[in-house]
Amino acid sequence: MRDDAGQGEFEFGLKPLWLRAQAGDEAAYRDCLLRIATRLRGYLRRRMQGLPDDVEDLVQETLLALHLQRGTYDPTLPVSAWVLAIARHKLVDLWRRRGRRDDLHDALDDVDETQLVAASEETGTQRDLDKLLQELPEAQRVAIVLTKVEGLSVAEAAQRTGASESAIKVQVHRGLKRLAQRVRQ
Amino acid sequence: MKTEALIDLLARGAGAAPKHAVERRLWPVALLGLGASALFGVLVLGLVPMSVMMEANWWFKFAYAVSLVAVGGWLTARLARPVQRLGWPQLVLMTVVAAMGLLGAWHWFTAMPELRLAELLGHSWKTCPRNVVLLSVPPMAAAFWALRGLAPTRPRLAGAAVGLFAGALGAAAYALSCDELSMSFVAVWYTTGIAIASALGALLGPWLLRW
Repeated sequence: MRDDAGQGEFEFGLKPLWLRAQAGDEAAYRDCLLRIATRLRGYLRRRMQGLPDDVEDLVQETLLALHLQRGTYDPTLPVSAWVLAIARHKLVDLWRRRGRRDDLHDALDDVDETQLVAASEETGTQRDLDKLLQELPEAQRVAIVLTKVEGLSVAEAAQRTGASESAIKVQVHRGLKRLAQRVRQ
Repeated sequence: MKTEALIDLLARGAGAAPKHAVERRLWPVALLGLGASALFGVLVLGLVPMSVMMEANWWFKFAYAVSLVAVGGWLTARLARPVQRLGWPQLVLMTVVAAMGLLGAWHWFTAMPELRLAELLGHSWKTCPRNVVLLSVPPMAAAFWALRGLAPTRPRLAGAAVGLFAGALGAAAYALSCDELSMSFVAVWYTTGIAIASALGALLGPWLLRW
């Protein structure tokens, strides 16, 4: 990948943090995801020049996929290779979906020129997290809100809802999976 | 939604990454698939007599199928991850198939010329590949299900690996009820059945393995 200069430096900074994150260090994990998001933004922006408004959507979709699949990371491999393989997969998936839709809707040439200017920093997306959470089944939504928005531990969330700890974990995972599916549409 | 808000959500209470995610998802499927195929094969087609199982050639046949199950499972596990290293499993796959090919060729050339064709076709060459493919259906469904929860980024190749794994499981199960003992028969017809299952997997992969 010749157009991905700085890959070595990125990997060098990321790998030790990532290994700590995999072992359960949440601060390290958050830091990793922030670094990865920046990297993904650059990677995707270069490849999505016709769809600048979709870049951040795909960054978020890729982050969700990374999180759900973090168990498939193999520590003998570079983290960046793993991250970019998933990003590439998501990009191909987007092209395929878009390719079909663009046949039905307006061609890229019809897009207003001013919309093609990409913002230089993160602008967020049109998606509303609260609204996405509202669409989840009750048990999944509650599990996510308690542990991931309010920041309760799994044990506390289990006590609050009367569900078992493993049930809470399962609901969180299922909820995030469903969120990833919703975000992909 | 700000991306940072999503990152906060993902990182909070994230805990450690699941360990052995690929193995934990594929092993039960392998065992279940083997059980289902073997049971199905033995119930529908019956078990070969003990005397056939005493033959070394029967064991060669069974070992061929089991080796392909192992290498198919290995390839599937490698392709279940976003970055694949396929060198070793591919080499082993080629070695196993080549070894069976050599064994089949040796059997062909050492047989009496007038018997060669009969040895190659056996009494069941028309049904063998079909039965192998049919017995590969339950493990193929299970393996695709398992892979859908993992992260294959090359769906066609991953599908082919699933097909190889399931086809070989089908062949191992079929070996329990197939009394053909000629190595040239196994080299051609078993391999054909497994190859058909693998091609079927490659066709289904891009369709089933989207995420």
